[in-house]
Amino acid sequence: MRKILQRMAQNSMYAIISIVSFLLLWAIGVQLSDIKIVMPGPWEVIIDFVDSFIHPVGRYTMPVHILYSLMRVVPAYIVGSVVGITLGILMGWYRPINSIFRPIYELIRPIPPIAWIPISIVWFGIGEGSKWFLIFLAAFVPVTLNSISGARSVDPLLIKCGEMLGASKKHMFRTIVLPFSVPYIFSGLQVGLAGSWATVVAAEMIRSTEGVGWIIISSMDTNDVAQSLVGIMGIGIVGFLLATIMRNVEDRLCAWTVREV
Amino acid sequence: MRVDSTGSVDTVISCQRVSKEFSSKRGTTKVIENISLEVKRNEFVVLFGPGQCGKTTLMNVLSGLDTATSGTVYSLGEKVVRPGAERGVVFQSMALFPWLTVRGNVAYGPKARGFEKSVWIEKSDYYINLVGLKGFEDSYINKLSGGMKQRVGIARAYCNEPEVLFMDEPFSALDAQTRYLMQEEIMRIWSTEKRTIVFITNNIEEAVYVADRIILLTNCPAKIKKEYHIDLPRPRDYTSPEFLSLRDEISKNMDRTL
Amino acid sequence: MNRKLFLHLLISILSVIAFVGIWHLFTAVLRVVSVNTLPDPMKVFTSFIKKFSNPNPDGATLLQHTAASLQVALTGYFYALIIGIPLGIMMAWNKYIDRFVRPLFDLLKPIPGVAWIPLMIVIFGLGIASKAAVVFFSAVVPCVLNSYTGIKQTKDVHLWVARTFGASHHQKLFTIAIPTALPHILTGVRVALGAAWVAIVAAELLGATRGLGFMIQQSRGIYRTDIIIVGMLAIGICGGILTSILTIISNFLLKGRR
Repeated sequence: MRKILQRMAQNSMYAIISIVSFLLLWAIGVQLSDIKIVMPGPWEVIIDFVDSFIHPVGRYTMPVHILYSLMRVVPAYIVGSVVGITLGILMGWYRPINSIFRPIYELIRPIPPIAWIPISIVWFGIGEGSKWFLIFLAAFVPVTLNSISGARSVDPLLIKCGEMLGASKKHMFRTIVLPFSVPYIFSGLQVGLAGSWATVVAAEMIRSTEGVGWIIISSMDTNDVAQSLVGIMGIGIVGFLLATIMRNVEDRLCAWTVREV
Repeated sequence: MRVDSTGSVDTVISCQRVSKEFSSKRGTTKVIENISLEVKRNEFVVLFGPGQCGKTTLMNVLSGLDTATSGTVYSLGEKVVRPGAERGVVFQSMALFPWLTVRGNVAYGPKARGFEKSVWIEKSDYYINLVGLKGFEDSYINKLSGGMKQRVGIARAYCNEPEVLFMDEPFSALDAQTRYLMQEEIMRIWSTEKRTIVFITNNIEEAVYVADRIILLTNCPAKIKKEYHIDLPRPRDYTSPEFLSLRDEISKNMDRTL
Repeated sequence: MNRKLFLHLLISILSVIAFVGIWHLFTAVLRVVSVNTLPDPMKVFTSFIKKFSNPNPDGATLLQHTAASLQVALTGYFYALIIGIPLGIMMAWNKYIDRFVRPLFDLLKPIPGVAWIPLMIVIFGLGIASKAAVVFFSAVVPCVLNSYTGIKQTKDVHLWVARTFGASHHQKLFTIAIPTALPHILTGVRVALGAAWVAIVAAELLGATRGLGFMIQQSRGIYRTDIIIVGMLAIGICGGILTSILTIISNFLLKGRR
């Protein structure tokens, strides 16, 4: 126990040294070169970041911007994931369903969600609709892919085992195929979440009046690099939190996935 | 050998002139050749043979997990074409469901077949207790040791109350010490709950220790070489002269393989 | 078996025909959807062909746009590879580098590549450099991550073997750790290419004078949905081709490993 604490203290010390030296390099670099005309130093950015929680950037403070972005991400992400899991598992397990949907899915799959931005604006306008559509795609595509490979990888011995124990096809789908795919589905959910977050940022950068993506894009018009960096910090922190939450949910739900070696 | 092997009530599982070939691009390999055998109710039969010869394939064919190239398998007079609840299997690689607890694994069969909750709770309680896993009902499989895992495998097969239990080298993944212990355990379990068991092994001691009857198979392709009825009293002693002489005799008749 | 395969192929073909048929029905036949929203499939097809030679309405032909995107994407990708892979390997191999670089890397990792666009434009201007930098930021993360996990897969036993033969630290890295990590590194290389391709499209949507992203963004302004779809298809096809090339290369490099 003591050793672990010591190790943790040591590690965080290294982390602090590493980050502080990075900030120092940044500060010195900015001071010594011509870039200081446009590029602020680290302290300025950190102060601005804290300040963004109290004084609004544009119309809203940072938490409200984040909330706007999350309101775009969360519902569409959930819908995209649910559709993706359902379709993916069915495609992975039933050959005819795979044959029906595979060609159309393969058509959509290689097109990055960001490339849908222009057409989604044409279809759904510049409001929330187009963003929801984009996030839906950003979640749907990877979640489906991973669910397919999950259902495909089910250990045939376990299926034989189910048959041997007298389970029907339907029962086995629910009690073997589905649980077996869960770890695969989660890695799809993880990729989909990161993709959704990147996509909402991109979508907000192209057309919006609020959200974290807007924070960085509006800085371009005002040439305010500090604001851009504040936005990047916000995006990074939220992205990190989302990934962490997802990982915890996964650990909670699949206590059994400790790999058997 | 009786010609009418399917009619007898006493015969639980039987097969006639079963052969199995695997064909690949490089040609066909004969794994089982012309095997006929029958297993009586509550008999403990050991299929014993050297090396990699078709023991597991034979078991797969008998249990319905695989189909024979020629010949027929009967279970209680009915042709076997697919796996079914009356033929339980304990796998060498255990093949437990890692996302289920011990209870979930053991109760899988009764649950799948639609028994009521009170029934499958009762059944699984009984068999978990029988294999000595009381207190581990809610543990996940990954937390268990190898021996405990195979106890779950045995309880799972038992809990479905099949007519016949196939055990495919069930202890070969265990260390030597645990293996001895499990041999005693399987005898204890079997004497408490009599079942028809077809047991596969490549370990001569294990075969002599557990079997009513040993069917000695040749190396690839597997054919029946000889049969031994073992009537030593149980529990058997690995070091008794009778045990050792039997062991010697069977060893002598066994095909040598590399 | 072959008949089954044929049947599934037939279902797939029918499904595609149905998809295009419904699309055609709603756009060209029933005219429920206006051309400004969704042109009919024939129109998209002819626009696709025409776009190869016709620089209107956005000033360049399809191949010129594609070449422009590829040039920038591959530049940034190239730097991501030559910096990301060694960095990941060094982080996994040397604990001091790990301790100092990893906190920074973890800090920057969750920031999507797109978010760097405005900053990069400020630093590098509107030219190729800023877009290549955005591509670099997107592609470098999977390169580092996968190289790192790959090296960490190295088995202690293998390292011990090397030590008994007197291998130096460097020899162990090059003869054991890197070969072990190769499959992971190649996965990273592939994932990074996908990320690079996404990043270039995003960067071109926001500020460019050429490139596929620019093309679809321009067409939106003038409601040329046919060109938007042509652009999307081109993006998809290019991404697909690039990934398949890498898959072929990595399959070749990993030949004999399963």
